[in-house]
Amino acid sequence: MKKFLVTMLVVAATATSAHAGLKIIGKGDAMHLDASAFPAAMKANYEIVRVKCVKCHTLERTIVAIKTGVAPISGQPFDRSATKAYGVKMLRKPDSNMSKPEVKASVDLMNYLLAESEQ
Amino acid sequence: MFLKKHPVAVMFLLGFVLSPLLQPQGALAIPAFSRQHKTECSTCHTIYPELNEFGDAFLKNSYVWPRKENIAAAAGPAAEAGEKGSVSEWARISGLPEQIPVSFTATADLAYDDEAYDGNEFDLSTRSLRLHAGGAFRDKAGFFATYNLYAQGQQRGQVSGSPSNSANSPPNNAPDINELFLIWRHALDTPINLKVGRFEPKLSLWKRSNRVITVPSYASTTYLVGRSPFSIDAPQDGIELSALLGNRLLLAGGMVDRNGQDQTDGYGHVSYKIAGTDFKGEEPEVDLENDSVWDYLTITLGAFGYWGRNGQFDNFGIAQNLNDIRRAGAEMDILYKRLHLKGGGTFGRDSNPMFANTAVSHDSHAYAFEGEYYLGAPVNLIPLFRYEYQDGIGGGTRRYMPALVYAPLQNTRLSLQYMHSDAPEGISRIAFASLAFSL
Repeated sequence: MKKFLVTMLVVAATATSAHAGLKIIGKGDAMHLDASAFPAAMKANYEIVRVKCVKCHTLERTIVAIKTGVAPISGQPFDRSATKAYGVKMLRKPDSNMSKPEVKASVDLMNYLLAESEQ
Repeated sequence: MFLKKHPVAVMFLLGFVLSPLLQPQGALAIPAFSRQHKTECSTCHTIYPELNEFGDAFLKNSYVWPRKENIAAAAGPAAEAGEKGSVSEWARISGLPEQIPVSFTATADLAYDDEAYDGNEFDLSTRSLRLHAGGAFRDKAGFFATYNLYAQGQQRGQVSGSPSNSANSPPNNAPDINELFLIWRHALDTPINLKVGRFEPKLSLWKRSNRVITVPSYASTTYLVGRSPFSIDAPQDGIELSALLGNRLLLAGGMVDRNGQDQTDGYGHVSYKIAGTDFKGEEPEVDLENDSVWDYLTITLGAFGYWGRNGQFDNFGIAQNLNDIRRAGAEMDILYKRLHLKGGGTFGRDSNPMFANTAVSHDSHAYAFEGEYYLGAPVNLIPLFRYEYQDGIGGGTRRYMPALVYAPLQNTRLSLQYMHSDAPEGISRIAFASLAFSL
């Protein structure tokens, strides 16, 4: 019984609250999404985000914004118009190394994730 | 043999090759704004202290995160909850920053001057430590301060190192406070911001610290005439009004209290941003399906004027042999992807720049052009070249300055620069290396 309680406590302490439509794995800097159920196009887009965006910031920042609807640093609403604005910001950021098609793919993915998280 | 013949070139090359190895291990902390907003330095800077477009918008918004003040009203309960959840209740009610908004910048410099007057070709005795404080009280007021804690030696090419000299304060008033001001944002619910204290009057597009290479400052904004310590980028005691109109037009004007006399100085500034992120930090509309040159291009134009009077202080701190000062200038800033071009020129007239009993006026002009290319990740390196010309009483001085700036960490900067000056008194060649970090 004691072992069971300890195990449950450990599980409870390390569990990550997953949003209804999104499967979130890990926490903190290691937080990422389970893309296995994504449509093929979104899987490809997720690969771009996973590789390009983490050069400057963690995926946690993006996932928290999608989960809460609020961008964690600016505190501004994170909706479809915000995803486009962030995409443009990253496109114009001199060292983002993101091309226009890559930015479009990232914006499409964030819009898809927003729609999923609302379900 | 080559070392003896070309010590400057060897130092420059060696410094460049070794710079990636000089990564300081202890400089992990980040300054006040970064801590306050829990974001990285690159949110506002290319290589610090140069601001990127968002950093410039943050500055113009009086250190309040652009658009943050209207979140709750605009976005409803979710955003309100997010915002309230990120700020402690006591801080929200009192308007105080949650953390003491203080940071420090330290610099250590190495200069090589093959014609040093004292024969000391290598000078490693220049260093400084400066304290910064900045932030906002809710979205009502912004504040900023820089305090010179310690300085040893004279940085090469710095023409007005002491704020007391540059501000033309009486000799018994030698403040270590470089800047200390408060901004009442949107005073009386108008678009007007009211700034009071000691600050750089808003004349140039770029604050003196807003560049990759800060020493020397641009000739067009820092030049002196005769014995007058006046330059337009020096901190002054004053009051300034500024307003953003239509997100892309900035108007500013103010008055400066000059000690030792009964007259105040006045100045005005106008700048307009064509394309790019606007002054409020809003990104431009970009078609993600089609390419256009305007997707990446930003052009900012600025103009300014200054009129005032200074003089030589007597033993009682009263200005004598007064000098009427006039300055007018125009500037342009062009940003295209990683390429950044800056240029500006200033014309001036001083009625008595030598503070002589018999006044002799002098018309002056100076201009500066700088081009930089931000290589960015994975190597945070900026090569740049500056050319400037400055007309003094004794004749004109041309200055050519190539430089390399490297940021091994976002809060650490290594710079190597070479300065070739062709002045009436002769040609001088100075190589200059600087290490700076903020925490």
